[in-house]
Amino acid sequence: MAQIPNLDNAPFNLTSLRDQSQKELLNILKNIRGRKCLVIDPKLGGSLSLIIQTSLLKEHGVELRYLSADPIQTECTKVVYLVRPQLNLMKFICSHIRNDISKGLQREYFVYFVPRRAVACEKILEEDNFHHLLTIGEYPLYILPVDEDVLSFELDLAYKECQVDGDTSSLWHIAKAIHKLEFSFGLIPNVRAKGKASVRVADILNRMQAEEPVNTSDMGMPEINTLILIDREVDMITPMCTQLTYEGLLDEFLHVNNGSVELDASIMGVQQQEGKKIKVPLNSSDKLFKEIRDLNFEVVVQVLRQKATSMKQDYTEMTTTTQTVSELKDFVKKLNSLPEITRHINLAQHLSAFTSKPSFLGRLDMEHTIVEAQSYDICFEYIEEMIHKQEPLVNVLRLLILFSITNSGLPKRNFDYLRRELLHSYGFEHMATLNNLEKAGLLKKQETKSNWLTIKRALQLVVEDTDTTNPNDIAYVFSGYAPLSIRLVQQAVRSGWRPIEEILKLLPGPHSETKRSGFASSQSIDNLAGAPASIDKVTDGRRSLVLVVFIGGVTFAEISALRFLSAQEGMAYDLIVGTTKIVGGHSLTETFIESLG
Amino acid sequence: MANVSVAAEWQLLYNRYYRKPEIYPMQWKHIDLSRNKVAGAPFGGPIAVIRDDSKIVQLYAESALRKLRIFNSAGVQISETVWKHPGGRLVGMAWTDDQTLICVVQDGTVFRYNVHAELQEPNISMGKECFEQNVVECVFWGNGMVCITEANQIFCISDFKNPNPCKLADPNLDEYPLCVAVIEPQYTMSGNVEVLLAVDDLVLLVEEDGVQQLGAGIGPLQKMVVSRNGKLLASFTHDGRLLVISTDFSKIIFEYSCESALPPDQLSWCGMDSVLLYWDDMLLMVGPYGDPVRYLYDEPIILIPECDGVRILSNTSMEFLQRVPDSTVSIFKIGSTLPAALLYDALDHFDRRSAKADENLRLIRSSLPEAVEACIDAAGHEFDVSRQRTLLRAASYGQAFCSHVQRDRFQVMCKTLRVLNAVHNSEIGIPLSIQQYKLLTAPVLIGRLINMHQHLLALRISEYLGMNQEVVIMHWACSKITASLAIPDATLLEILLDKLRLCKGISFAAVAAHADKNGRRKLAAMLVEHESRSSKQVPLLLSIGEEDTALTKATESGDTDLVYLVLFHIWQKRPALEYFGMIQARPLARDLFITYARCYKHEFLKDFFLSTGQLQDVAFLLWKESWELGKNPMASKGSPLHGPRIKIIEKAQSLFSETKEHTFESKAAEEHAKLIRIQHELEVTTKQAIFVDSSISDTIRTCIVLGNHRAAMKVKTEFKVSEKRWYWLKVFALATIRDWDALEKFSKEKRPPIGYRPFVEACIDADEKGEALKYIPKLTDPRERAESYARIGMAKEAADAASQAKDGELLGRLKLTFAQNAAASSIFDTLRDRLGVA
Repeated sequence: MAQIPNLDNAPFNLTSLRDQSQKELLNILKNIRGRKCLVIDPKLGGSLSLIIQTSLLKEHGVELRYLSADPIQTECTKVVYLVRPQLNLMKFICSHIRNDISKGLQREYFVYFVPRRAVACEKILEEDNFHHLLTIGEYPLYILPVDEDVLSFELDLAYKECQVDGDTSSLWHIAKAIHKLEFSFGLIPNVRAKGKASVRVADILNRMQAEEPVNTSDMGMPEINTLILIDREVDMITPMCTQLTYEGLLDEFLHVNNGSVELDASIMGVQQQEGKKIKVPLNSSDKLFKEIRDLNFEVVVQVLRQKATSMKQDYTEMTTTTQTVSELKDFVKKLNSLPEITRHINLAQHLSAFTSKPSFLGRLDMEHTIVEAQSYDICFEYIEEMIHKQEPLVNVLRLLILFSITNSGLPKRNFDYLRRELLHSYGFEHMATLNNLEKAGLLKKQETKSNWLTIKRALQLVVEDTDTTNPNDIAYVFSGYAPLSIRLVQQAVRSGWRPIEEILKLLPGPHSETKRSGFASSQSIDNLAGAPASIDKVTDGRRSLVLVVFIGGVTFAEISALRFLSAQEGMAYDLIVGTTKIVGGHSLTETFIESLG
Repeated sequence: MANVSVAAEWQLLYNRYYRKPEIYPMQWKHIDLSRNKVAGAPFGGPIAVIRDDSKIVQLYAESALRKLRIFNSAGVQISETVWKHPGGRLVGMAWTDDQTLICVVQDGTVFRYNVHAELQEPNISMGKECFEQNVVECVFWGNGMVCITEANQIFCISDFKNPNPCKLADPNLDEYPLCVAVIEPQYTMSGNVEVLLAVDDLVLLVEEDGVQQLGAGIGPLQKMVVSRNGKLLASFTHDGRLLVISTDFSKIIFEYSCESALPPDQLSWCGMDSVLLYWDDMLLMVGPYGDPVRYLYDEPIILIPECDGVRILSNTSMEFLQRVPDSTVSIFKIGSTLPAALLYDALDHFDRRSAKADENLRLIRSSLPEAVEACIDAAGHEFDVSRQRTLLRAASYGQAFCSHVQRDRFQVMCKTLRVLNAVHNSEIGIPLSIQQYKLLTAPVLIGRLINMHQHLLALRISEYLGMNQEVVIMHWACSKITASLAIPDATLLEILLDKLRLCKGISFAAVAAHADKNGRRKLAAMLVEHESRSSKQVPLLLSIGEEDTALTKATESGDTDLVYLVLFHIWQKRPALEYFGMIQARPLARDLFITYARCYKHEFLKDFFLSTGQLQDVAFLLWKESWELGKNPMASKGSPLHGPRIKIIEKAQSLFSETKEHTFESKAAEEHAKLIRIQHELEVTTKQAIFVDSSISDTIRTCIVLGNHRAAMKVKTEFKVSEKRWYWLKVFALATIRDWDALEKFSKEKRPPIGYRPFVEACIDADEKGEALKYIPKLTDPRERAESYARIGMAKEAADAASQAKDGELLGRLKLTFAQNAAASSIFDTLRDRLGVA
């Protein structure tokens, strides 16, 4: 099964988007004649694997390498670098060239920046005097469809760069990506933003429209009705909690990367050499996965058991009684889904090994206690003990961040104490990590009283008696905690910001709500609030779209919650997700870890 | 019949008709072509006139200084300038394709003028040899020129857009050639110009790298001219014959013996069909067959070849000699009964309300579409507006009776004719024929109009043809700026904005750049303010020195790449301190600078932090360096005392201590330095390099694992490690080396401050049930006890503890754990029932 997802069922034409990207890449390769060594930024590898098959690259005379500090070993005289405009990557390119020169190798170098050239990077190449040896170009890959309803801008460091370094390059990139979408799908008439970065993106987007307008007249109704921008800063609680959906748990334990997980072949029941890893694709092209990915893991186990049982039953019937041909046909059809069932049973079994551990349950308990924000001391001691036991730093930091945010910081004494214990246990090099977290406001000294309780109550973030089997609220994705970010989206879709303005003011960053012109004659714009579904239908019967963009990343659990909302009766829109990257508490926290050493 | 008068003006050359309508009476006064050097540009272009200094002429009431005057084709003066160049006589003068006037003087200097008679700097020199040898003759084509010196050397500029003079091969002549012609580069095999020189009775073909002999024995040629397509050569022999030969001299196309052996003053092609020879008062048109046509002139004329004929300029008029187009012949030829003629006639009847109109129409019913087509086509070839109208009316009349006709042909023709008539107006004076217009194309025409500063007309035409008006408005704005030195900035800005706003998305930045080039920096700044595209605006702001504004605009745009552009620009231009001050006040610029410098300019970044008083940031940088020093094998292994590292960390510590807010960091740095010292000592005493750069907790563990309890204790007290942490560390360390006796001893030292849980956990993790059982009963919390029993699989004990805790939820969970064990499971059920939990 291909890792590249099938996008035919997407609510809008994502295939064309992907084809375009593929074509642009191939054009770059075609224009460089003959055999060439394509050296890709390892971070881009995953993105490219969602666009193009490696075999197709080989057909274009490409020898594939990953960019690292080590010199390139290749026979090719043409070396093509495909890199993000990251300053530290330029060092590698320079050292490669220096190495070639010292060996007397004459090569042609091409550097393609994804998605665009950057003055700062070129400056570095220039200062090393390699500029004249290079042909510099761009590969404008701004958006990557990772699934039928999920677009990624592939900016995994966006949140850290914005919050810690003050480098807002990603915001321009996001605006550009959305603006590019608008050129294909029409100007988005409603924009709602919450959080500093979101409001800035909305602002840049408007500037871009002024500078380079999307021609509104020849496109008819815009396919995307509303854009909702949520800054991760507004809700750092949700990603720090352990996700309990099937896909979310897979990510928590196995780290889903660009729509696939890599694990030992033996877990998947494949007879192969010991320790051999295999890649398992996870996307909506797998029908069973599409059905169960968003369910709470408890329920997934039940569903799989049911499927297996009914299969067994059919099989028994098949061997005992005489069957008509059509019944045989049905049975064979069912058999086709057998590999999928096997695959997910293997995965689920592997996950259960983790979820049944007392430490895991204890951790879940603690997360809920922290979110409830009732027993400060118990939480404090729990975290203290984790540090003393030298549990993995990321796990400690996740809880600590959760703890700090819900309390709007820690009292100075506790704050200094825990920081000291952290440095003592994990090393002084983590001073940089602490400094990063403090700059981002994720771990800080308490200065004001926390308003978490008010927010929690007003937005009903903690839901008692969550029925995970037949959920009636998004809280099922965390077995009782409704993600704050999705509550906001729920509000924004239903009625805009106005009814919850007081609450929004308690959350970080400003908010904005704008209507963009160009569609004065269209009637549907003004009644987004509670509009009956029929009005907003695009002529061909599809529902119109709401694009929810998470600046700083989104978790699988949140995506599941959005899909849940989208599937609710009375929902007038299809929700699609845009994100800087699909993140988890783990990967998000890791971006802040920077040892001085 | 009305048609008769039209055809009466035609002349027949063998079987083809020619006509020579006057298109303008010349509006100039007192211009005598015979006294002047004249250059007329093709495609109805301008005419440059200057008194010929190679002739002796009488001066009337005029200055002795010569004037270069430029007229349009109707004789309306466009511009003039006084000619006072040194360098000797003016040898050659001609227009290039983009309407630059090229003037070559004897010493090989080339002066270039635009249509406004403004000298285009710099002047080009044909080189030292030309300067020394004197130029005798120049031959021009489209955008190039060759000139021949007195020493019979040939020099060439192949493209005036990129004027690099080069020398062609030496033809080794003793005498100056009889006559010269060139074949344009686009028609030669080599792609370079070929020069034909008539010498003795043959022709030499000179190229850049060689000379060939051609056409030996063809006879001395007095005059040569190459046809427009470079295929044919018309020449006049010494014995008075006109000879048309293919340019490769393989074939004589035709030959005609003239009455005079005196070579003509001018020899020219008329289209591709005939050759014109001009002597004093007679113009002779010779075709391949039949008798030539003679025209008599009592005043001097100049022949200006066009693609479809020749313009004949005289002192008083401008005529256009062309072959009568087939469509026109079919309508107006005397006695024509072709459908087109009948249709034209039908309209005449119709206008006179004669029933014959219908009769005519019926006659040509089946061929009506082609008749309509012919009328439309013929209209296009007319200069006379009323005749255009009549022909179009005829077409329109015919069109009404046929269904299969392309109606848009008619519309297109109307549109084209409107444009042509507009430029035919004598004020504009561009007498383009429709064929020339199609060859020239509308954008080029518009380009010529704006070069002539006919902006309004150019704007109207481009609007009318649905073309982008940006070019016109941009040019207008730039010309306006150049021409309005006296208008104050604010006023001029208003005037400009008024027009620039007409065109959406126009580049204000480009206009601003022009203003800046004209020395109007303030106006440029005002203009660039209106540019909506930051990517264009910011670079320009930098180039006009508005760095502060550039930085502000770049920041506003949100495009960090632009911010970097400005940052690097200022970085180069300003002294460091000033630069620091500038970016310190701007958060985005500052942060981006720091990000960049952190990667590549550490020292410079330190200077920045010092200058802005951010001592803690300097301290962080130092601290980071201390690790790099540690990783560098030269520094750490070479110097066993880790002296330099510790020194840097201590420096960082002292910087942290400068500010009250960084006490924590200061303390940490202090501890870090101390830790490295202790770790170093440990490495020396244990002779194992495993301590440095591990954490305090790891150091303690390592000590215990190595059995060095005293050292562990020392680290504990040095860093005031809490009892809680100490217990966890020691318990885990002992479990690692599976020293269960020591563990038990440790548990009995005193009552552990965090209870016995660490002991239980360590034993269970090590899979030592027996050891774990020593500590489980000592756990105070019954729930913990229950779970611990459960973990080592002792269901009954777990159940007892759980029931003691009275925790139903716990029981339920334990039951799940023991799901496989039926006996255990039933225990939990009974207990749960007893507790009354559902």
